[in-house]
Amino acid sequence: MRVGIAGVGFMGTTHAAAWAETEAEIAGFLHKTEEGALPLAQRYGAKAYQDLDAMLAGVDVVDICTPTHLHHEQVLQAAAAGKDIVCEKPIARTIEQGQEMIAACRAAGVKLLLAHVVRFFPEYALAKAAVDRGDIGQIAVVRLAREAFQPKKAANNWFVDFDKSGGMMLDLMIHDLDYARWVAGEVDSVFAKSITANHPAAGVDHGLVILTHRNGAISHVAGSWAYPPPEFHTSLEIAGSQGLLEFNSDATAPISLHLREEEGGGAPDVPLPGSPLSESPYATQIKEFYGALVHDTPVRVSAEDGLAALQIALASIESAHTGAAVALHPLPEVPA
Amino acid sequence: MRIGILSFAHHHAEAYIGNLRSIPGVEMIGFADDEQERGRRFASLFDARQYPSYEALLADAPDGVLVCSENANHRPLVEMAATAGVHVMSEKPLATSLADAQAMLDACQAAGVMLMTAFPMRFSAPVLEVKAMLDACGLGQVYACNSTNQGQMPRHHRAWFVDEHLAGGGAVMDHTVHLADLLRWYLASEVVEVYATTNHILHADKVDVETGGLIMLTFADGTFASIDCSWSRPHYYPTWGGLAMELVGARGIVNVDGFRQSLTTYGHPEQHTAWSYWGSDMNQAMVEEFVAALRESRPPSVTGYDGYKALEVALAVYASARSGQPVSLPLTGS
Repeated sequence: MRVGIAGVGFMGTTHAAAWAETEAEIAGFLHKTEEGALPLAQRYGAKAYQDLDAMLAGVDVVDICTPTHLHHEQVLQAAAAGKDIVCEKPIARTIEQGQEMIAACRAAGVKLLLAHVVRFFPEYALAKAAVDRGDIGQIAVVRLAREAFQPKKAANNWFVDFDKSGGMMLDLMIHDLDYARWVAGEVDSVFAKSITANHPAAGVDHGLVILTHRNGAISHVAGSWAYPPPEFHTSLEIAGSQGLLEFNSDATAPISLHLREEEGGGAPDVPLPGSPLSESPYATQIKEFYGALVHDTPVRVSAEDGLAALQIALASIESAHTGAAVALHPLPEVPA
Repeated sequence: MRIGILSFAHHHAEAYIGNLRSIPGVEMIGFADDEQERGRRFASLFDARQYPSYEALLADAPDGVLVCSENANHRPLVEMAATAGVHVMSEKPLATSLADAQAMLDACQAAGVMLMTAFPMRFSAPVLEVKAMLDACGLGQVYACNSTNQGQMPRHHRAWFVDEHLAGGGAVMDHTVHLADLLRWYLASEVVEVYATTNHILHADKVDVETGGLIMLTFADGTFASIDCSWSRPHYYPTWGGLAMELVGARGIVNVDGFRQSLTTYGHPEQHTAWSYWGSDMNQAMVEEFVAALRESRPPSVTGYDGYKALEVALAVYASARSGQPVSLPLTGS
């Protein structure tokens, strides 16, 4: 199986390392400039492409790791070429785009695998398994937080371009909005506040979202691009009728390093969470996708899950700007 | 300075006895309780004088009283004290309706007595340190706050804590007022809007009141703050609960936890792991403020009006949870 990776930024690089742990052949990297794609192409013995159609002709699977606003067009292009697809979250910039992508993939008979990687982090997967086993009874109150610094880029920082990324809520909080729905079920109502909406000139963002789930559970989701680099904190708390689950990345960090240096240690451009593991959650995710692509084994996240997470994130943005609670309605089935 | 206690309905009264006795120049004259049997038990336990009635205690001309009755019964005791010309510190929440809270403010004002609301978190050393930092613009403009005041379901303290009439509600009424008050104080701004969603899943088999709640406050200056007031700590949690705030400002973020200062014990007889608080005694500092305000004939640092405004937020939480949409403050038609 030959895979082509579209995008050579932080996520393209991270996914390439994960694909390298599978039997797949990394056949190509796509970037709009040749010099952009060459370093990764050389490292993995792959071709550097500047044109998606050209890369699609030489691969079986394409992994879309490009900025969010490009997902729609590139997925449609890959589906038209009959290629299976892995796509970074968020699935797209709008619901309509996401629905069109799912419909196109279904019509073309290709897989659309959504990289909601938090579901593959062992602490989050363990908590989900505990909930599903009934360890803590009926879920009542869920608290999730993901707090980091605003992603940097030397040039063309699409993360901070709302039209391209959807901002912090669509890029970062969507992880936990997806997770909240995964553990506590469908969401009926969304209320949110953000610094971006209340203080547009602040230059930082921090958002708080309250979800009311259909089954009566309630969730509090916090997301931040307001922390100083290189900080990245995540936490999880799930209270149920029979018990409580807690996880905090600071409290469970197995290593704490304190170097006496003049300069603060260099922070990465894009914050990635992580605890030392023998297998990175990104590799766990790509291996599960590889199994689905080659052996048709099940995956823990569907394209429809990605669409539902997008719907909650967009409703959060809407609520933060209108000041009203937003009622969610089930999305219509995507026609086959 | 002679201080008495009206009612032992709230278990904080047990702590206040010791708090009062440890202040030089203060005489803890005793207490009255309308449950005579409970009163006799505490009179013996604390070697304290039990007056036969609230009227009898007030007739003994104390300088001040601490009102520790059930939430819904604060009003009659505060009014009784005001009529007797006695200064009052009332447990929180100040009342269970704005009409009651307003009547208490009016009665104390008319009688010229002080009304303090017992918000002990105002006297927590870490909470005070962050207040000083905010006042010195250490964080710049505050934009947002993520706060929690979660706890165990408190029925084991007193049964009335989960009685809708006597307590005024469940987790919302129990916990919202602490953070509503701290945030008003920290931000020096009033709450203009409240959104909330609540549920009744935790302890659904044991109590009829709401046990889970997530709240979003918006202040006049645009700052928004969420509060988790849920009784989401299981009975075997290492402590009763806690109160913490994460404040996001122009210069950065500060996290403050009012109960982090604790010793972990493994092998505790009831809770296998227990967190024993060793931080400063905020109840002591609060009772000392009441006494100091009496001695100096000045308003206390936490007033009855502060209690009214925090109660208003809690009542707005119920209104929003019913309607599913945010509710504007101040509330009207109380």
